Amino acid sequence: MKGWTGYILRVNLTDKTWKKEAFTEEFATTWVGGRGFAAKILFDELRPGIDPLGPENKLVVALGPISGIPAPNTGKAVVAAKSPLTGFYGDGNLGTHVSSQLRKAGYDALIVEGVAARPTMLYIEDDKVEFHSAEEVWGKGTYATNDWIYKTYPKNLGVLNIGQGGENKVLYSVIRSMEGRAGGRPGMGAVMGSKMLKAIVVKGTKVIPQEKPEEMKQLGYAGLKEAHALDQASGWSKQSTNAVLAWCNEVNGLPVQNFRKTTHPEASKIDGERLNDARIATYGCPSCTMHCGITIHDQEGRESELDYENIGMLGSNLNVFDLKQVGSLNYLCDDYGLDTISAGSVLGFYADAIEHGATTGDFKFGDAEQGKVLLGQIALREGKVGNLLADGTLRMAKAWGKDSINYAMQVKGLETAAYNCKSIPGQALANGVAAIGGHHREAWIITFELKNSKRESYGPEKAAKVIELQRIRGGLFELLVACRFPWVEVGYSLENYPKFFNAVTGLNWTLEDFWKAADRGYALIKLHYLREFPNTTRKDDYPPAVWFDKANADTEGPQKGVALEYDKYDSLLQHYYDQRGYDQRGIPTKDLLAKLGLQKEAAEVEKYAKLS
Amino acid sequence: MKITVKLIGPLIYDAGFSEKEIELPGPVTAGELVPLVKLDKKRPVIITRNGKAVAFTDFLREGDRVVISHIYSGG
Repeated sequence: MKGWTGYILRVNLTDKTWKKEAFTEEFATTWVGGRGFAAKILFDELRPGIDPLGPENKLVVALGPISGIPAPNTGKAVVAAKSPLTGFYGDGNLGTHVSSQLRKAGYDALIVEGVAARPTMLYIEDDKVEFHSAEEVWGKGTYATNDWIYKTYPKNLGVLNIGQGGENKVLYSVIRSMEGRAGGRPGMGAVMGSKMLKAIVVKGTKVIPQEKPEEMKQLGYAGLKEAHALDQASGWSKQSTNAVLAWCNEVNGLPVQNFRKTTHPEASKIDGERLNDARIATYGCPSCTMHCGITIHDQEGRESELDYENIGMLGSNLNVFDLKQVGSLNYLCDDYGLDTISAGSVLGFYADAIEHGATTGDFKFGDAEQGKVLLGQIALREGKVGNLLADGTLRMAKAWGKDSINYAMQVKGLETAAYNCKSIPGQALANGVAAIGGHHREAWIITFELKNSKRESYGPEKAAKVIELQRIRGGLFELLVACRFPWVEVGYSLENYPKFFNAVTGLNWTLEDFWKAADRGYALIKLHYLREFPNTTRKDDYPPAVWFDKANADTEGPQKGVALEYDKYDSLLQHYYDQRGYDQRGIPTKDLLAKLGLQKEAAEVEKYAKLS
Repeated sequence: MKITVKLIGPLIYDAGFSEKEIELPGPVTAGELVPLVKLDKKRPVIITRNGKAVAFTDFLREGDRVVISHIYSGG
């Protein structure tokens, strides 16, 4: 078996043991890698109902067959566990040298079990695993932790770490990497913190097994050159994802004031053009051909790297139209290790709830200084407010009541990203049916809706587009663990990816094979959900109620008076279920599960819930 | 006929402006506007008018706000 190292490293923090476990070729070709490996491992090894922040939860770091091999944007890793935020399978990916170092150390995945007695740094070097003390950096932010790691360990490492947010089990804390990246929105940082694991440091010196290394080398370097040239020709990196803010502002899709409004006259103060003007640097992930963030000096003079989700959720969503202040909010999230999307949503919801009388407090939209104070309280779980806000919008709404759940901007507990979908039904669906809760990562169809479809349509073409993109973005790229940007943003051909896969594995897959593997992964994550929530209904796939509220519609402009419509959304959801082969609850049918080879997993779920 | 043209992302640097009011010589379609503002007409773009997407064959009207953007895909 080439392409995969064939081994998983299993580490137990409780008793400081580890073992190297071989996996079969069948496992490899069924689940491919990344999200596929993580979802399968966690399905097999976790019982439903366990405490996500208890010793029974497991943290998985999973890579794919082209991880660590020079090719466009392959320097990423998937991090996954049972999510403390959503209560079922959660994952995320982030750019990191762990991608290459763990594979060179001889592993396609790392499983972390148990809880360390003291703050711990896990050091992996090929076949050696050591449990070092992290007492010196426990309580410190991700930047100081990185600095300490650089000084303490040899060069050429892969590093994953957490800040105070993860240590204090903020439910939307993330894992950060040495490149300044973050991943694992549904609280993967909190899972790491619950295990008293401050950082994972990896060094590998072996050769990653490949079936046709010379062919892969040629394909990979040609791909790097082509993807970079495509970016340069398009000029995409000049503003990167940040350009989307100005566009969303023009088409009434921007989150403003906790998604109450869709545009703002001051949006241009924090848009991609202003960011490009303020740029001091750009950093990319390993093997990156097109940097997606722009680094500026924040209000306090620190370097803060921003992308669209950051300026959307910590800027316009909070009515903060001062770029340096947005940079400061972003810097603090990164240093504390908080997800910027959820943090922006939490702060926006707090200000909104105060305005609407659901709770009391002195935080107002536009108050960046108080926002900074609150982020600190959240990261440290300081005081009643900090402690509640650390639990995310769903739990905040439950604590406050008074219909505040209607404007808690989340799906299945995960805060939605920076796209205001009250007049964009297909993207609302994409949020509703995202595998891990409200997210844009797997399907983003707003341009399709405006350009190729009717914006107001709730037709089957939008469900089909969501599925098509889920297979590519949430499937192919999450299984191979590569960044989707070269394809999705500048047109690097998808056909290249099976070529890479086939060169390293010696197999002969087409994109169709990846779609089937993607569908299998989606079905398995649905089974995770059903096993945890056996009484689920299709309402769990509905986006936030405020998007359906006519009283919350735009009061002027081209989308004046437009809100989502419940009956039409439900029919759109049904199109999605029908095309997927899911039942009325949005759960894969037994027939579909059999076609995907998931009979064993279906039998496991039937111990807890009914399948159709 | 006067319209306002707003460019998004890298198009700003290609055309040399971000937003401006321009006087059109006569009836012009959305697609014909692209080379008029010195953008490569072969470049894939999405054009919206007053917040809604338009076909390249649609004629522009007095007072329109036309936004021409690189086709973004949500990162």
